[in-house]
Amino acid sequence: MNYTFNWSVLWTGESGQWLLSGLIVTLELSGLAWLLAVALGIVSGALRTVKFRPFRAVATFYVEFFRNVPLLVWMFFWYFGAPPFLPGPIREWMFDHGLEFWAGVTALGVYSGARFSEVLRAGIQSIPRTQMEAAVASGLTTFQTYRYVILPVALRLIIPPGTNESLNLLKNSSVALTISVTELTFQTRQIETYTAKAIEALTAGTLIYLVLCVGVASIMSWVERRTAIPGLIAHGARRR
Amino acid sequence: MRRLLASVVACTLLATTVAPALAQAPAPAPAHPGTLEKISQSGTLVIGTRTGSPPFAYVNAKNEWVGFSIDLVEELVKPALEKKLGKPIKVEKKESTPPTRIPLLTSNAVDLIAGTMTDTRTRRDSVDFSITFFVTGAQFLVKKGSKIRGIKDIDGKRIAAQQGSTNARIIREKAPKAQLREFPDQPAAFQALLQGQVDAYTNDGIQLAGLKAKATNPAQWEIVGDFFSYEPYGMALRKNDADFRNMVNNGLMDGIESGKYFEIYDKWFGPKGELPYPMSAGVRTFMLYQAVPK
Repeated sequence: MNYTFNWSVLWTGESGQWLLSGLIVTLELSGLAWLLAVALGIVSGALRTVKFRPFRAVATFYVEFFRNVPLLVWMFFWYFGAPPFLPGPIREWMFDHGLEFWAGVTALGVYSGARFSEVLRAGIQSIPRTQMEAAVASGLTTFQTYRYVILPVALRLIIPPGTNESLNLLKNSSVALTISVTELTFQTRQIETYTAKAIEALTAGTLIYLVLCVGVASIMSWVERRTAIPGLIAHGARRR
Repeated sequence: MRRLLASVVACTLLATTVAPALAQAPAPAPAHPGTLEKISQSGTLVIGTRTGSPPFAYVNAKNEWVGFSIDLVEELVKPALEKKLGKPIKVEKKESTPPTRIPLLTSNAVDLIAGTMTDTRTRRDSVDFSITFFVTGAQFLVKKGSKIRGIKDIDGKRIAAQQGSTNARIIREKAPKAQLREFPDQPAAFQALLQGQVDAYTNDGIQLAGLKAKATNPAQWEIVGDFFSYEPYGMALRKNDADFRNMVNNGLMDGIESGKYFEIYDKWFGPKGELPYPMSAGVRTFMLYQAVPK
């Protein structure tokens, strides 16, 4: 390849500052979207397993509608499609106060929520039916059964696939650059604009994503071990 | 946990050892095989161009990928290449955007960028440029009646620009109080302007004119402000490949000398062209002076 590497572009000029601000925006965007996604995922994942048919229908509609449309389209929808339905002054205020960021959080959160929902449903359905029956027999209402028996177990069970979805969410946050959110990938392109050194800038971005994701994975694996219920979940070949 | 930590350490080690190794690699020798040889072997000249930048390179109503920059390649560069190599060649077009065009070029995915790329001194550190084939400067596209009349009026206003463009950079430097919103492509930026997400869209004047002409209701839009930047368009090619660069330049110079270049200009920018934009006397002289004697 006929290319002269110049890694110093990453620490000279404003590059470091840009990468840092991009990292912060990526973390804010992903963090808020994650909270939204987990909340939506728990509610709709639980509703998909209840007996009451209308609840199941609503949750199924949410999941199938939102996970089967590309994230990019949702970004455009929340940024370009939704605002015209708002009253003029509110819209104008939002345009002035970072609408793109909140559109990005909504798009990412609602989309990932639909995916989390399926993960949680799988977790709930893997719990033996007898647990549910025992809870109901002991006098708990359906809500209490889910709150105190089913969800605490299901949420522990789904930590590994949940981690997967969380990492996807973190990486998918880069799609927000299409609606002008100045996140990490955007900033690596910014460095490219100023220095014309694309490979160096992309490498820096790649390493930051890698470290972030490996970090998240380690934390989740620690959480998994801390919250494991002895005897309930098979531990495979792990050391004690 | 320990195993995970180990993998983090391994990744970091890998990254920190590979990066300096790459950095210390001696400056690569001129491309072997050179681009001319590559084209001769494959029989194809691969160009990176745009799909949404009328009239330089865009997909027209008949779904054909055409434009001024593409014509320059097809009618000036390609014949020069064929003459030099002594055999017919094909031109293959690939989509390239401001963030992707330099990587596409350096990775050999394309041989020539012929779109709307401004020749700058920083970019010359990474790629080489042909002679200038078009001259323009940045302006603003606004809704008719907007208070924005130029770069002095944009403090606190929401301004759209294209990611990776020279215009965005200049706005950041000359008007730091403007709220800059950068979009990856022209359609998204224009949509934001259309819906009032932004108050103005800045790009090279000629591109704004192209956008305005293609808009549903052109009379609704206005191009304002003096040029606040100088944007000479050139074709980018891989660095240190003088044979190929000379060949591209010869093609363009022959075209300027024979008048073919001006015919193509008129086809797109003449009174009956896609986008009337008469060439000023100054630019005409500049073009003629770029063509060095045979």
